[in-house]
Amino acid sequence: MTKLIKNRVPMPELSVEERTKTFNEVPLGYSEEQAINEAKRCLQCKDSPCTKNCPVNVDVNAFIKELAEGNFKEAFLKIKQDNPIPAIAGRVCPQENQCEGACTMGKAGDPINIGKLEAFLGDWARKKGVREEFAIKEKDQKVAVIGSGPTGISCAVDLRKYGYKVTVFEALHKAGGVLQYGIPEFRLPKKVVDEELSYLKEIGVDIRLNHIVGQNVSFDELRDEYDAIYIGTGAGAPFFVGIEGEELNGVYSANEFLIRTNLMKAYNPEYDTPLFVGKRVGVIGAGNVAMDSARSALRNGAEVYILYRRTKEHSPAREEELRHALEEGIHFMELVSPTRILEENGWVTGIELVKMKLGEPDKSGRPRPEKIEGSEFTMELDTVVEAIGTRPNRLFLRTVPELKTTSRGIIEVDENLENIGGVYAGGDAISGGATVIQALGEGRKAAKSIHGYLSAH
Amino acid sequence: MKHEIIRKEDLNPKDYLMEVKAPMVAKKIQPGQFVVLMTHPKGERIPMSVQKAENGNVTMFIRKLGKTSVELYTCKVGDHFENVIGPMGNAVEIKKYGNVAVCSDLVCGHAENYALCKALSQVDGNHVISMQTFPSKEMMYLEEELRGVSDEYYITLEDGSYGIKGHYRDVLEKLMKQGKIDMVFAGGRTDEYPLLAELTETYNVPAMVTLRPIMVDATGMCGSCRVFIDGEMKLACIDGPMFDAHKVNFKELLNRVKLFKKQEATALENYNKTR
Repeated sequence: MTKLIKNRVPMPELSVEERTKTFNEVPLGYSEEQAINEAKRCLQCKDSPCTKNCPVNVDVNAFIKELAEGNFKEAFLKIKQDNPIPAIAGRVCPQENQCEGACTMGKAGDPINIGKLEAFLGDWARKKGVREEFAIKEKDQKVAVIGSGPTGISCAVDLRKYGYKVTVFEALHKAGGVLQYGIPEFRLPKKVVDEELSYLKEIGVDIRLNHIVGQNVSFDELRDEYDAIYIGTGAGAPFFVGIEGEELNGVYSANEFLIRTNLMKAYNPEYDTPLFVGKRVGVIGAGNVAMDSARSALRNGAEVYILYRRTKEHSPAREEELRHALEEGIHFMELVSPTRILEENGWVTGIELVKMKLGEPDKSGRPRPEKIEGSEFTMELDTVVEAIGTRPNRLFLRTVPELKTTSRGIIEVDENLENIGGVYAGGDAISGGATVIQALGEGRKAAKSIHGYLSAH
Repeated sequence: MKHEIIRKEDLNPKDYLMEVKAPMVAKKIQPGQFVVLMTHPKGERIPMSVQKAENGNVTMFIRKLGKTSVELYTCKVGDHFENVIGPMGNAVEIKKYGNVAVCSDLVCGHAENYALCKALSQVDGNHVISMQTFPSKEMMYLEEELRGVSDEYYITLEDGSYGIKGHYRDVLEKLMKQGKIDMVFAGGRTDEYPLLAELTETYNVPAMVTLRPIMVDATGMCGSCRVFIDGEMKLACIDGPMFDAHKVNFKELLNRVKLFKKQEATALENYNKTR
């Protein structure tokens, strides 16, 4: 019996001091030796709780076994069987709730750093130019995929493997969806996104940028031209809290703040995009998007406050994001909820908050935050970023009344992810907002359903 | 997809016309809709009005105002620039309005004035009255073309050196007094809209104005272009860009367009230093 190594091989990270100055990625990645040593900690459990707890059921045991033996290519190909974008998923999955959360080693010490090993293999393959090789038996049928985010990517890859002609329609000028506009460079370098996406082009997926279904391409045109459609339009429209003062200059939706930062690279002087980041920034919310906004603001030189109505331990953010944010000096204000934004001459000067307490658990299982009457107080801020969630964009949906949707604009699907005949949907467009990996899994599932549908037609 | 510049002409010392190859946009765009321009891969996305869309080309009127529009002006016919994306926003309903006035007092408005007059004049029962306002004679353009697509045309100059002295509102008021206006469309200076709204409300004439708040993606994602219509938050990019002038909160809009004034001035200054 091998001796248990309770502690992880530490992940080298950019120093906190450097992080406040650049948008460079924070984890520096394992070396080959470090990756092998981390992989060797794996107990190779027979029942593979890690795989069972993965939304796409990556064969974790198998890839880690190969990795531990130094067979990087074999390890990489094992992951690719289930996950087309390991370098991305390894960086953005909430592993602590999935594979790593179920890891047996977690009971004795640290769970295996599965996410970082996955990212290591994805990066290794990119650098070495190692690709998954397969022969495509061309079919005549054509499928349109709307949206080039995680779910669209995974659906497109699988459809191509089945042999269909696949065209992806992307509204923005860059492909990747939320990977491109939402997740910041310090968490997911855009070079990684672009390179993982270049794989789609290599296998013959046609990606059409600046094609906005509902505006310059109609859904009917797609219905006429394609044999099946997959909708992966995500949840890209911001919610606002709905309090007084949201019209003020200095108030951003997290989407705007992050689109300007990530897609439009406002932090890079070579780019033309303007962004005003004040000296004291308040971010409403405490999920991943809130952490991304807060840490982006910090890197623009601001003092940043997370304003959250529950307490830290109920934050829906990934463990790593929360830890990084706190390390970097972001102030976490617990049990507060905004009531109005204060102004002078049309610009934000502060925020009024009310104190909260935790009540009985709500539907999410987390304690319901309740207002403490009369506990309002104000704090000085010059920028407010609202990161309280997003919803599917009505731009697309309003042009397709024939689709079945909920009153909140969520696309409804059956167990095969089908909406109306030949039209399938997945990702945040059917969930209202979930994880990259769940979206990815749905893309794969839809590809299988579409294959079944087209084989029968 | 790069877009070739087919034609570039000065309209006046501040404004210029640019016709670019953009077949997909040209095929679909309707009056009231707009495009998003990117001059180069590291450029910003800026909304732009369209005057004409013919033969696969799109003609835009652009003011040399910020870094992007000044930089774009340095491009020559035959050059290519990064992106013309669209159409964005909603089309104006082209139907019978009766006596319909189409008014403009700024570059984007003049472009739309033409597009709207042309479409509206093709509907039976419309009497299309086009009105333009410029500061002075040297700034005038598009008179002949607008006369060609309207039934009646008025030009007002702020210095009175040609046409009627004053603002188009002065003409509009005269005609409304006589009961000769059933509907008003206006585009151009945001700071003039509150006065137009007040005036048309006085005469109980419906008025639609094109709003141009700051946008990024222009597809409903960022919320930068949020405007308040009858107290309700709307997005100019996907709910507009035209709104009922009597319901718009102009005070908020006029404040929000100032958001990046400082950054814009610095960007232009830095750009001018490098030339």
